Amino acid sequence: MLEEALEHLVRGIVDHPDDVRVDMVDNRRGQRLEVRVHPEDLGRVIGRNGRTAKALRQVINGVGGKGIRVDVVDVDRR
Amino acid sequence: MSDTEVIADGADSATEDGENALLVHEGDIAADYLERLLDIVDYDGDIDLDVENDRAIVAIVGTDLQPLIGQRGETLDALQELTRLAVQQKTGARSRLMLDVSGHRQARRAELAALATDTASQVLESGQAARLTPMNPFERKVVHDAIAAIDGVHSESEGEEPTRRVVVLIDN
Repeated sequence: MLEEALEHLVRGIVDHPDDVRVDMVDNRRGQRLEVRVHPEDLGRVIGRNGRTAKALRQVINGVGGKGIRVDVVDVDRR
Repeated sequence: MSDTEVIADGADSATEDGENALLVHEGDIAADYLERLLDIVDYDGDIDLDVENDRAIVAIVGTDLQPLIGQRGETLDALQELTRLAVQQKTGARSRLMLDVSGHRQARRAELAALATDTASQVLESGQAARLTPMNPFERKVVHDAIAAIDGVHSESEGEEPTRRVVVLIDN
């Protein structure tokens, strides 16, 4: 549910919605949602001073993902 | 499927100009974005659309929507930010739309206006400036507007976010 919600929120604000991927990663440090977008959309999803990424985190935490991290993954940097 | 429905009441004027049509369009895009979110997280809510003071107003109305408001309205502000971006993505123009959830902003606005009035009388009586608690930009604007309507006092903001606050002062 949270993956789908985050995917929807991100898809609506990018130029390449079909390239949006969200994965839930579960490890001993807790759960986190990894967001991957088209390289051209990276700046848009992060926002000025990380403002958009922070808003995504805030909404996801609000709708049930309390304590879950939301990370925007830079796909160029593998 | 969800029970979400969209009630648009800003679009029925025959004399509506281009500007207004754009704002109505903003509301429609916002409603689509938010409706789908409500669907996914399985919240029941109606979306009311309006245009007020050259701004699209989008209100999600329902019970049990507190998670969309959050502490001090932080989640509401975040969701408003994302909704503006979603609108901008479709229209190509920056949006100033206001999002409200279950009347939170309206209630907060009334509360702040009352606080402004009380503070102004205090300042007028004592002649001393009064510092209010830190507020977000929306809240400060409500207080500034309320103070501006009262004779004999004026207001300023001081400090840096997130502890920026309104100071109410006596006119010279």
